[in-house]
Amino acid sequence: MSTSPSGPGSATQAPGREPVRRGLPRISRSARNHAPITATGLVVKVILLGLVVGIAIWAAFPLIEAEHWVGLGILAVTTAGLFYLYLSRRHIPAKYLVPGTLFLLAFQVFPVLYTASTAFTNFGDGHRGSKDDAIVAIQTASVKQIPGSAEYSLSVATKGDPATGPLVFLLSDPKTKEVSAGDAGGLRRIDASQVTVSPTGKVTAADGYTVLNFGQASVRSKEITDLVVPTSGGAVRSNGLSRAYEGKAVRAYDAGCDCIKDSESGKTWTADEKAGSFVAADGERLTQGWQVNVGLKNFSRVLTDPKISGPFFGTLAWNFAFAIGSTGLTFLLGMAIALALHSPRMKGTNLYRVLLILPYAMPSFAMLLVWRDMFNTDFGLVNNLFGLGVDWFGQTWSARLAVLLVQLWLGYPYMFLVATGALQAIPGELTEATSVDGATPWQSFRAVTLPLLLVALSPLLIASFAYNFNNANAILLTTEGGPFAPDNPTNGATDLLITYTYRLAFGAQGAEYGMAAAVSIFIFAIVATVSAISFSRTRKQEEVYS
Amino acid sequence: MTTYADAPVANRNSAGKSRSRWFAQVGWRHLVGVLAVAFSLFPILFVISAALNPLGTLSSTELLPTGASVENFSNLFQKTAFAHWFLNSLLLAGVASFASIFLSSLAAYAFSRMRFAGRRVGLLTLLLIQMFPQFLAIVAIFLIFTTITDLYPAIGFNTPWGLFLLYMGGALGANTWLMKGFFDTLPKELDESATMDGASHPQVFFRIMLPLVAPILAVTGLLAFIGAINEFLIANVFLTNTESKTLAVGMFGLVAGERNNNFGMFAAGTLLTAIPTVLVFQLLQRYIVSGLTAGAVKG
Amino acid sequence: MRIRTAGVVAVLGLALAASGCGNSGSDKPAAKESAKATGGKLVIWADDKRTAALKPFAEEFGKENGVTVEVQAVSKDLQTNFVTASQQGSGPDVVVGAHDWIGNLVQNGAIDPVQLAAEQKSAFNEVAVKAVTFNGQLYGVPYATENVALIRNTELAPEAPKTIEELVQTGKKLKAEKKASEILCLQSGQNGDAYHIYPLYTSGGGYLFGTAANGDYDPKDLGVGKPESIAAFQKIAKLGEKGEGALKRSITGENSIATFTSKKCAFLVSGPWAIADAKKANIKYDISPVPGFAGGKEAQPFVGVQAFYVAAKAKNKALAQEFVTNYVTKPELAVALYKAEPRPPALTAAFDQVKGEDPDLAKFQEAGKNGQVLPAIPAMAAIWDPFGKAEAAIIGGADPAKTITAAGKTIAGQIK
Repeated sequence: MSTSPSGPGSATQAPGREPVRRGLPRISRSARNHAPITATGLVVKVILLGLVVGIAIWAAFPLIEAEHWVGLGILAVTTAGLFYLYLSRRHIPAKYLVPGTLFLLAFQVFPVLYTASTAFTNFGDGHRGSKDDAIVAIQTASVKQIPGSAEYSLSVATKGDPATGPLVFLLSDPKTKEVSAGDAGGLRRIDASQVTVSPTGKVTAADGYTVLNFGQASVRSKEITDLVVPTSGGAVRSNGLSRAYEGKAVRAYDAGCDCIKDSESGKTWTADEKAGSFVAADGERLTQGWQVNVGLKNFSRVLTDPKISGPFFGTLAWNFAFAIGSTGLTFLLGMAIALALHSPRMKGTNLYRVLLILPYAMPSFAMLLVWRDMFNTDFGLVNNLFGLGVDWFGQTWSARLAVLLVQLWLGYPYMFLVATGALQAIPGELTEATSVDGATPWQSFRAVTLPLLLVALSPLLIASFAYNFNNANAILLTTEGGPFAPDNPTNGATDLLITYTYRLAFGAQGAEYGMAAAVSIFIFAIVATVSAISFSRTRKQEEVYS
Repeated sequence: MTTYADAPVANRNSAGKSRSRWFAQVGWRHLVGVLAVAFSLFPILFVISAALNPLGTLSSTELLPTGASVENFSNLFQKTAFAHWFLNSLLLAGVASFASIFLSSLAAYAFSRMRFAGRRVGLLTLLLIQMFPQFLAIVAIFLIFTTITDLYPAIGFNTPWGLFLLYMGGALGANTWLMKGFFDTLPKELDESATMDGASHPQVFFRIMLPLVAPILAVTGLLAFIGAINEFLIANVFLTNTESKTLAVGMFGLVAGERNNNFGMFAAGTLLTAIPTVLVFQLLQRYIVSGLTAGAVKG
Repeated sequence: MRIRTAGVVAVLGLALAASGCGNSGSDKPAAKESAKATGGKLVIWADDKRTAALKPFAEEFGKENGVTVEVQAVSKDLQTNFVTASQQGSGPDVVVGAHDWIGNLVQNGAIDPVQLAAEQKSAFNEVAVKAVTFNGQLYGVPYATENVALIRNTELAPEAPKTIEELVQTGKKLKAEKKASEILCLQSGQNGDAYHIYPLYTSGGGYLFGTAANGDYDPKDLGVGKPESIAAFQKIAKLGEKGEGALKRSITGENSIATFTSKKCAFLVSGPWAIADAKKANIKYDISPVPGFAGGKEAQPFVGVQAFYVAAKAKNKALAQEFVTNYVTKPELAVALYKAEPRPPALTAAFDQVKGEDPDLAKFQEAGKNGQVLPAIPAMAAIWDPFGKAEAAIIGGADPAKTITAAGKTIAGQIK
């Protein structure tokens, strides 16, 4: 670490043009402050900031139009913040971090926080929307055609301009040939002499009305759907653009009792705000519910439900073995091959490299399916080739071995590539120096190459461990968690925590997102702790060159 | 291919022992290479055999094709929008990998070379965010992009730009870690001396650091490219228009029909998908194996 | 200097921005106008196969009526994505899917009932109408039905077996003569396949749900784990790996049809979707109902129905209703969808029209005549996984009573 004399407040030092400001940047960075502003730098800065303003203005119009003031505020603050950051000479690290971080916040951090917040709700199938949504759904679902009522031919018409005039339903009854006009005020008969009716029974023209064609009518779809013509027994509603029927909502919400009443059976379902459902006195609940806060219920269920917590530790242990095994094996194999091919005397390394990355270049879900077939007991290549009759996915340990082997195949090209890159980045002088000193290749590998490789790759190994810890696809597309004990179809030998708990959350009657989010938070806490501990160990390596 | 490193070794060689020496120094490397290639390729043979099989089954009982026909390939272009998918993927993966290595190299530089409050916390956060299962976040993605589509259809659902933005959200993830590791291996004296010579921090970054880590940029770029080409989960919810789909989404559709699948066309498509990756790799090879690093470190 | 630089940068930046937004400002209103000039837009979501078949018809509908129709394919998790997208307001107007989605779609308020006139309703196959009826309301317009049958290679097995025992006998003989390597291709895989094993389960006496007073399935009366189900699986176990070897976990969805078309087994339990491959491989085949156990009950396959639904949060609901109730109910469309994928059309008129060209169709329908409509109640979602796994374990040789009781308990615990 170089020691710079510049402390806080130290004045002009290098070919400086302006006084350095105090505080930031610390010690060794200070010299950078005095670098001259180049023409290219200036131009780039102008263009980029110009783009920022351009985008901000482009983004502002729709926000203003939609009266989305919060969004506009965020936009203005972000833009101003960017200007401040890049025009100021302070906060140098932030200049490098902010571009990526903005995207990160919007498209990763926000979704994660939003999802985590659902862990405190009953969010899931049957409980997705608001109470109002549920009420609308219940009422709409109960609309029935009044028995024996007429089925009308419908023509949508307006009084006046097709795009803006008030809508009217021109209804003709195919049986009686009577024509009437209906709007929110009710039905009115129209004299037959004032209308033209096509042979199919549709009104094609009427005095004082403009009949809309489908194209014109479809633009006003929402108004048409919302237009309900009241009748004595119920209401005439449109069914598409060419039919209408007289129907009645059998169930209706009554705000007074906060309940749903069925006018046919007289049954009532009262809102249960804790469960987010309408429940009848006999315990029957309506299927359409709404999302409510359930506090820590999902979390306590994870801990107390014996079906979830029972096989937890066994699954956790295998989960660790799987993540460590996948990461370790791919790293060892990838590095070994990279080392083998890393020699200036090797010819054809290009070809080797291209062929070796092919497994990684293929869509992994396709290759997982191929591998699953290869482990088939009767038809699979593995058994056929070696003359075995092993029921690979039917036994605990063979299934685990098979899964790890598949992971190895899929993952080692990645490690190979990264190790190749890292080896190239290690200065040749270092290894040469040791070989001049008479060290064997193994010694020079241990003393020079491996430590440097680890500096470069250990953060990546941690990331890879974390990824594999939650690698649901690797399991779902091969063993699906199996083999399962005959008396327990919920927990299999190759299940990871994530596949196991999602089976519980999504395999039940309807997906339970809230539950799944709670489980994810638990898993997240475990992986985060492990990763944080191993991360703190990298500090030493990180400072090799510092 | 003789280089400085080999010269002394070659001098010490005696002609008679050259074969065994050749094996000790180079031959075994080829052996490892061939074995590794065999391991890599044999599952792919099934894909080739299925692609050539006119019946189009992905059954692993037959390693060698039972029939040879290009029917699957021609069907792919005639009956599906494969060409569209291919171009979409190339465009998206190209732009996204380029932008994402740019963003992550900026961040990696800061994380590696600067010391600031919250540095290690920031790094750890980057890692931890990646661990949250993505398919749960789909609900939130719908939430965000429903709003965006209403306000700005140009970057909403079914547009490559919207998906590009989403991918940028993940740009800092693993790539930053990877690159930071490599920045860490570069001696600090390099940029410090440059700074002393009066270079500004952007100059140090663009003129000194980036050229030095060219192999890593190439590797990371390739990984990002492959990642974008193969990304399925988000692209599947994002792109529903046949013509706006990417390879991964479109091809999955070939085998996703209920209970009856067209593995033949799918296998053919899988093989074609690998082509851009291989081409990009070829393009980047010279950076990956360039001697740039060694030269620069000396200077 | 610093301030001046900042100033210059800011001014130049703003100038650049101004020129940029001049462009964006001018093309925006134009885009809006053009959208308004044409009619409304109808968006349909379907899986990939049906998207391809629907496209020409949807476009024609659009042209006839001056509206824009977009058919979009969602390759994976169509149902989940439809529910999620709908709820957020970015879903389609119409969705195409299997009838057993209805329970879940209704509980999420994602689809609306459709009103069909009496004469429209009567044009459909009765089973199909029953399948899309949920809680007394019609929720979709059906267009095709499907069920499994026994497809046999007539060169290897000229006679249709009357019982499963007869089938096993023929299969074993063929195996002994080295004419085939498998007795029966009935897909199971390591985790079972409730759909394909169901005919044997019903023939053994098992059931899934009892029937409520109104004729719907009753989730409170769960048949899995009951003595009948144990008896059924004891019979199935005899056909398994430790018994006759007719049912095997190594036969999967990926290889069962391929094994049949490569003449390695004489019998295949599958649906209309397997026929195209059999034809391509030049197999001489015939179709008959899946046989039951000797002295057992009738073997009843599941009958599934494909249907069109109107999204509750459709942006253009009137147009969606128009399309689903008046356009999808036309025989021409049903015939075209049949040509894209040969499943028996649900419209009687369309079925009669294609029956003549395709004798297989009538045979499949015959095989599904005594079938059971796949339950559409949400509780059905809890059945598939545990039931399949129990099936696979029993085929592999596990104790039927213990296994199926455990499965019953798991399912009961997951039904609300």
